[in-house]
Amino acid sequence: MTTRTSIDPKLLEILVCPLTKTVLQYDAERQELISRAARLAYPIRDGIPIMLPEEARPLDEDELKRKP
Amino acid sequence: MNQTPPIRRPAVELDSEGVRRAYRRWAPFYDELFGSVTRPARRKAVRHINASQGRVLEVGVGTGIALPMYAPHLEVVGIDLSSDMLEQARRRVAKQKLGNVTALLEMDAQALAFADASFDTVVAMHVVTVAPEPELVMAELERVCRPGGEVILVNHFSAETGPRAAIEQAMAPFADRLGWRPEFPLETVLGRPGLDLIDRKALPPAGLFTMLRFCRRDETVNDVVAPGTR
Repeated sequence: MTTRTSIDPKLLEILVCPLTKTVLQYDAERQELISRAARLAYPIRDGIPIMLPEEARPLDEDELKRKP
Repeated sequence: MNQTPPIRRPAVELDSEGVRRAYRRWAPFYDELFGSVTRPARRKAVRHINASQGRVLEVGVGTGIALPMYAPHLEVVGIDLSSDMLEQARRRVAKQKLGNVTALLEMDAQALAFADASFDTVVAMHVVTVAPEPELVMAELERVCRPGGEVILVNHFSAETGPRAAIEQAMAPFADRLGWRPEFPLETVLGRPGLDLIDRKALPPAGLFTMLRFCRRDETVNDVVAPGTR
């Protein structure tokens, strides 16, 4: 496994937000996994998703609206 | 040995950040210090898993000591709370070209980021004893395992006698630093409604570790409990 820039679609299928257990959206550009329910963006660093709320970036109202 | 009891932090102070800090310190030396002691037990557990099919979740994958042991037909996902340990695992996967390890993620075993029933096998080696709330870990292992799948624990459990006492004493300094609870009783991990204990085996060295195998119960079958069948 090298440092990949894209996340395995099969992995994305089983990944959920650790807080709300709801589906995540993958933002390939920012390398983040978005939980709309928890209003958090989980970072992916060196190909390793960091699924910890304390490491996640809070999303503001504008950003939530902009995201599909 | 009894006049100076080891200083044991109470369970409440065994917080996730403390665990991460401990492993950050130990990550570079973990394999040398702990690898040789834990490798035989890991090998036994993985050998059992290799007879199964599908997707495996290794909770507390650490530096990835066990990763090269998995058969190529299995798809392995590894998680750990310590980014420093995971970095070692990532290097190992790259170096040994372990194509069946499809993902490594940073995650808390007490709050897994996987959908229900995502895995055919869920294995946690030396994890429940370092978790601040082992009951939460058990609930999560149960949740992400598919009905009919297996949840496997490898651990050192206390309240057992025999020649292990000497080994336990020898290991105590390391165990303390890594947050192992020497007094961790087996009962802590039993009693999950969805997990039936199907096997219990003593593992090397000298039965220091125990492997517990649980079958994930199919709740759809169990929804209706006939009177008198408890």
